[in-house]
Amino acid sequence: MNAGLGFKVSHLQSMLLFALLVSIAFGFLSRRRPIDRVKYIVWSLFLFLLIGVGIGWAMYPFSR
Amino acid sequence: MIDETAAPAAAPQEFRRETMALVIGVAGWLVPGLGHALLKMWGRAAMFFLTVGLLVFLGAGMRGNVFTASGNDAFDSLGYLADLGTGTFYLVARSLETNGADVSHAGGDYGTRFLATAGVLNLLAALHAYEAARGRKA
Repeated sequence: MNAGLGFKVSHLQSMLLFALLVSIAFGFLSRRRPIDRVKYIVWSLFLFLLIGVGIGWAMYPFSR
Repeated sequence: MIDETAAPAAAPQEFRRETMALVIGVAGWLVPGLGHALLKMWGRAAMFFLTVGLLVFLGAGMRGNVFTASGNDAFDSLGYLADLGTGTFYLVARSLETNGADVSHAGGDYGTRFLATAGVLNLLAALHAYEAARGRKA
C-alpha cells in the first residue's frame, strides 16, 4: 500500500480507529488477566465513543 | 544482630537492577514493545508494537504533520516531543510521508493526532516496562 497517496477516512472512521487502538493499548497496559483486559477495552471504547459523540452534539449549536 | 555483609552485597545488585530497568525502558522507547519483549511479556509486547505501529502508519498515511526540530512555536515543539515518543517509528513516519503533511483536510488533522498519540502511548508503555523491570507490580 502506498501511504504517500493518503488514506481517505471519514470523521467517524477516524474516531473509531483512534478509540479502538487506544482502548486496546490501555487495556493491555492496565490489566493483566485476559478477561479483565477485554472488559476494560470494551468499556473504554464505549466511553470514548459516547464522549466523542456527546461532545460532537454539544458543539452542534455553535457549528454554523 | 545486624548482618553487616547484607548491605554492601545488596548495593551492586540494586545498581545492576536499576541499570537493566533503564536499558529496558530505553529499548521500549526505541522500538515499541521491545521493553516488554525483553521482560518476556509477549502479549503486551506484540500489542504495543501493533497499536503504536498502526497509529504511526495510519497517521502518516492520512498525511498528518510529522513535526521536526525546527518548529515555529511551542505547539510545534510539543508535537515534536510527542512524535519523538515513537522512537525509531518516528523515522518510519518520516519515510512514509513522502508527499508531506496536508492538514487542510480533516484527515490530515486526525493524522497529526494519531502520530502524537502513538508517541505518548509508547512513552507510557516504555515507562511501564521500566517499572516492571524494577520489580513493581505490572
